Amino acid sequence: MSFLDSIAAGLSVVGNIEAFLALFVGVAIGVVGGAIPGMSATMAVALTLPFTFAMQPITGILLLLGVYKGGIFGGSIPAILIKTPGTPASSATILDGYPMAEKGEAGRALGMALWASCTADVISNLALILFAGWLASFALSFGPPEFFTLILFSLTIIAGVSGKSLLRGALSALLGLLLATIGLDLVYGTNRFTFGDPNMMGGLNFIAVLIGLFAIPEILAMVWHPTAHVGTARSLGKNWVTFADYRRSFKSIVRGSFIGVFLGSIPGIGAAPSAFLSYSEARRTSKNKENFGKGEVEGVAASEAGNNGVAGATLIPLLALGVPGDVITAIIIGAFMIHGLQPGPMMFILNVDIIYGLFIGLIVSSVFLFVIGSVAIRGFKYVADVPKRILIPGVLVLCIYGVFAVNNNIFDVGVMFVMGWVGFMMVRYRIPAAPFLIAFILGPLLEDNFRQSMLMSGSDPAILFRGPITWFFWGLTVLTVVAIVRAGVRAVRGVSLIEK
Amino acid sequence: MTEWQVQMRLGLGAIAAALFLVLWAIPQWVSSPSNVQKIILSPLFWPFALAGFTGLVGLGLVLGGLRMTDDGNPVNEPTQDAGAAWMRLLGMAVIMALTMFLLPRLGMVLTSMLVFVATAFLVRTRHPVTAVVCAVIIPLVLYAFFAHVAGVAIPQGNFLRLP
Amino acid sequence: MKFRTIGAVCALGLGLATAAVAEYPERPINMVIPYGAGGATDISARTIAEPLGNAVGSPLVMANVTGAGGATGSVAVQNARADGYTMLFARVGSHSVNPAMKATLPYTLDDFRFVTVYEINPVACAVSPSSGITSMDDLIAKVAEGGVTYSSSGVGSLLHIAAVMVLSEFGVEEPLTQTTHIPQKGGGAAATAVLNGTATFLCTNSSALAGFVANKQLVPLMVTTPDPVPGFDAPTAADLGKPALHQLVGWTGIAGPDDLPDDVADKWGAWMAEATADADFLEKMTSRGSVIELMDPVKANEFIEGQYNTFRKLVDDLGMRIEG
Repeated sequence: MSFLDSIAAGLSVVGNIEAFLALFVGVAIGVVGGAIPGMSATMAVALTLPFTFAMQPITGILLLLGVYKGGIFGGSIPAILIKTPGTPASSATILDGYPMAEKGEAGRALGMALWASCTADVISNLALILFAGWLASFALSFGPPEFFTLILFSLTIIAGVSGKSLLRGALSALLGLLLATIGLDLVYGTNRFTFGDPNMMGGLNFIAVLIGLFAIPEILAMVWHPTAHVGTARSLGKNWVTFADYRRSFKSIVRGSFIGVFLGSIPGIGAAPSAFLSYSEARRTSKNKENFGKGEVEGVAASEAGNNGVAGATLIPLLALGVPGDVITAIIIGAFMIHGLQPGPMMFILNVDIIYGLFIGLIVSSVFLFVIGSVAIRGFKYVADVPKRILIPGVLVLCIYGVFAVNNNIFDVGVMFVMGWVGFMMVRYRIPAAPFLIAFILGPLLEDNFRQSMLMSGSDPAILFRGPITWFFWGLTVLTVVAIVRAGVRAVRGVSLIEK
Repeated sequence: MTEWQVQMRLGLGAIAAALFLVLWAIPQWVSSPSNVQKIILSPLFWPFALAGFTGLVGLGLVLGGLRMTDDGNPVNEPTQDAGAAWMRLLGMAVIMALTMFLLPRLGMVLTSMLVFVATAFLVRTRHPVTAVVCAVIIPLVLYAFFAHVAGVAIPQGNFLRLP
Repeated sequence: MKFRTIGAVCALGLGLATAAVAEYPERPINMVIPYGAGGATDISARTIAEPLGNAVGSPLVMANVTGAGGATGSVAVQNARADGYTMLFARVGSHSVNPAMKATLPYTLDDFRFVTVYEINPVACAVSPSSGITSMDDLIAKVAEGGVTYSSSGVGSLLHIAAVMVLSEFGVEEPLTQTTHIPQKGGGAAATAVLNGTATFLCTNSSALAGFVANKQLVPLMVTTPDPVPGFDAPTAADLGKPALHQLVGWTGIAGPDDLPDDVADKWGAWMAEATADADFLEKMTSRGSVIELMDPVKANEFIEGQYNTFRKLVDDLGMRIEG
């Protein structure tokens, strides 16, 4: 069957009003769901799933994909406005988005988030359509040793988000790694720092830690000094992202999209590390490196490109191998199976119409995302005008509801509060929070893949050097570490010269 | 607190934490089965490695601190009245502890209303009437959304059971 | 309005417990799913939610409480009031493998009262086509050569004990030292590990493997049920002369805290009979490879006890129990 035939077949299944309506509704649900902290894209998709049972397969799946894409973008709205990421994927957006909102540039940050998201979405979808087969076979060559080296390399992001002192960044990361050890041991199933509490056995809930670390310190800072914000501009204002901003950040957006495509096509990494990697790369190559973390519009663009670049690419292992890349795609696989479709290589032969129908739907979804996102930003902008001392208690209550809803567990609310105090102390002691978060995400992956590799090889470390992929990442890691150390040494010399 | 003091406290704190982990916390709270053949596969290996790194970073911070000169400028913006600020922080801690106590008993809606009012007055809001109105409405709206749209089992209290 | 509600609730609360139960359920029932969204338990629970809600006549609120291989959610129900308003979707992993393997588990089977088991999932073992293994005999021969590994969704999961039990039934004397267990995070990751060659084989619910088998990405070696499983071109345990493996199946059931009143349990029996007779439900579940088999409370308890004892004996014989 030729390419045109395939497209015609695809059009025949999506060429109806219900399919596009479902996609549109899906994106809208996703944006709203993602914008509510704790609701998260995952939960929005899980809640929409039962409604798809009665629909045509393609309509139902497009609805879910719409929710997924909308949710990943929607998460950036509260990240920028109230420093509370709606989904874990948008935690990197906080780094520059919230400072921008504090400066009265929330509109510009949100606009850039939307533009970057849509651009990355298009790139990611094109990558899915053009390279699905190739990237999928690549994904299958990722065993534990390859993962281990990839994650080791990703940990060098910490240097990019540590701010002035690398050592304090490292301290923050170690704290994250230590807290991530709480729970049951992967290989032996024994307790680690659980103190006999069944709630601790599952480990600390990621979203509770995330919201605790970012949103609660903001509340505590307000309690510490209730009038600090008086006199600073904090409304959405008239400012809006300009085309010049977009052009300036375009390189970072494209790079972020490709990072997202690459990490998204490998099952098990997810959108948050991709956003951080994209952010740190943008910072590393930017001319105004100093401004990153203080409200740099390019930082928002890079983070959002990084996480939305993942969205289309996670469908690569899903469609080509039948392997879910994260929780959301696991739910979407469920939807395929309920309709008697089995994702995998055979689907490209047996259900070409569905595959191409999905492709067409995905392309359209980027347009819908742009439209709905623009409307949503206008709707949510009033949050920036709420008096801050009314907003703060509201955020606190929202966080309580949201964190509870993630896992229906009151214990998680306590975790959020405790992490809030940890975060507040970190702010007072000038320890950056981002390395903590990256380490908290990547730490368990690093340890698990290391131990799985050791189990595979009978504790022979040579397995960590098998094949070209591991060598590639070892090389990258060494290069990056050397660069960091040189920059660090130069900085220390510079500082001591000034001081003496 | 000056920049120098921050650096030294962090360094010494990290060293103390590392010692605490190695000498007490890890042996006490991380259990390892007796039949582990290889040390690198033991559940203890990773926590010990992390504790070791924490100690090293602490040493690095202290050494860095020794190279620094104390400029005497305090970090963290001063507040007019530090005593009152500490009292407010303490108040917030009490609110959080009470929240955890009340959530299973009063239910999430009533507790959130109390939390909202308490926090708003703790930060001395300029709009007390709005705060009280919001305190009633926001938890109810959130309840309606999470319980009826998202289908989440929001904890109900022993005294008030919302539809 | 609010005061009337408070008054009504107080009146109910003040000693009218029996009356309240007589009207059971007079408010939505909270159903805890101890595993994450999109998993086998979650899909099963959400599929039965609709016919079950119709039978109950009041809505069911589904709540995923995940963590520690189902333990976090199970403990939430164990500690809940036994009024029938908090019930648990119990699963083979959380309620027969975990109690058999983990001494550290914060609950035992006696902490729950099962009102039903409604779904049985056959277990199948599979390898990657590139391994060159085509039958169980090949696999056992490979074990003797050494270097065979199996993946699972974690320590104390059905996949973990299934692989060990199959090996042990096929005459491998020391499955723990002759083969290596490579635990993964979750069932999807476990299947991926076999796909990409990280592990040699896995044994899991046939529904989790159906897609890979249909796509010829994995080769099934056997199924543990007495009857063949549609779509799986592999011998059954009965064909291979290992009837003991019939015990090795996945299941989903519903349980409450152990002091659940009898009349509540009786009501659940009636509701489940009605819900599982629903044609739409039956069709959805069987198309996914599940066998719908409704057990009353007595039979459900016998079934779970039997499976627990089998697993417990295996665990004790091999010294697999986790004490720390």
